[in-house]
Amino acid sequence: MDKLAKRLREDAGHIEAKVSDELDHRIRASLQGVTPVVEPQASKPPARPASFWLASSLTGIAAAAAVIAIINSQQVSLQQQAPVPQATPANILAAVPTIDLKTETAVMTSPLQQELDALQADIKKAEKLVREEIGL
Amino acid sequence: MRTETQLIAAAQAGSADAFADLVQLYRDRLLRFLLTRCASYADAEDALQDTLINAYRYIRSYDSRWRFSTWLYRIAIRNAGKLRTPEVVELGDLRDEENDPLLQCISDSETENLWVSARRLLNDEVFAAMWLRYAEDLSVNDISTALDRSVSWTKVNLMRGRKTLDAAMNETENQSEAYG
Repeated sequence: MDKLAKRLREDAGHIEAKVSDELDHRIRASLQGVTPVVEPQASKPPARPASFWLASSLTGIAAAAAVIAIINSQQVSLQQQAPVPQATPANILAAVPTIDLKTETAVMTSPLQQELDALQADIKKAEKLVREEIGL
Repeated sequence: MRTETQLIAAAQAGSADAFADLVQLYRDRLLRFLLTRCASYADAEDALQDTLINAYRYIRSYDSRWRFSTWLYRIAIRNAGKLRTPEVVELGDLRDEENDPLLQCISDSETENLWVSARRLLNDEVFAAMWLRYAEDLSVNDISTALDRSVSWTKVNLMRGRKTLDAAMNETENQSEAYG
C-alpha cells in the first residue's frame, strides 16, 4: 500500500462515528412501519420491428438521391445562365507583367502515381454510380 | 447466527428485525461517510435513517450480483445528494469549525485529517469515489456501480483525486517540516 492510501485509511479511522442507542431505537421503530415493495423499473420503449429500419434506410437513400439530383440540376442551369466572358482587352494583357518562372515538372514516385490513378478511378466509379442512381 | 444471505432473504420476506440485524455491520460506516456530506450531525443521522428505510423498502429489488455494501452506499449517496440542495450547500459553506460534524468527530491528530482537505479540494462525486476506494476498500467496479458511473470515469477520477490529495499531503508535510 502506498503512502497516500495508508494515510487516507488511517485518517478515515480517526473519524469516530457510532450510531447511538437512541438512533438505533428510532431506526428500528421506523423499519417496523415500512413494507418492502418492488422498485418500479423504468419502462423500456418497445423494440422497433425490422421493417421500420428497412423503411427508414430506404427513405434516407431516396432523400439523399433527391438532394443530389436537385443540386446537379441547379448546377446545370447555373452553367447555362452564366454570362460568357468577353475577350480580355489587349491593353490589360499588356499591362500584366509576365513572371519568368523556372519550374520543373515534379517527378512523381511510383507509389504516389499509383495512388493518384486509384483515386481517379474511384472518383470515376462513384460518378458513374451516382449518375446511374439518379437516372442520368 | 444467520449469514448475510439468510438475513437478506428474511428481510425480502418482510422481516424488519432481520434487516436491522443485516445493516448492523454497515450502520457506523455509513454514518461516518454521511458525516462528511452533511451540514450537521443531526442531518447525518437523519440521512442514515432515510437510507436504511429506503433500503428496506426496496430490499426486494436488491440484486445479489452486487455486494450488499455497494447497494447500500448507492442509496446513501443518492440520499446525500438530495440533501445537498443549493440552500443546504450555502448553509454548509457558512458552517463554522465548531459545528462542522466531520471536525467534531475527528480524534486528535498532529496533522490535519486528509479527508478534511479532500472535502475542500474535491467535488462530491470524486470525494465519494475516493472514500469508497480508500476508506471502504471497494473495488473500482463496485465504486462505478455505487456512483452509477462508468469504470473508466471512476478510474480517471480516482487518479485525479489521488493527484490532488498527494499534492495536499506533500504541502502539509513540507509546512510541518518548515515550522520544525
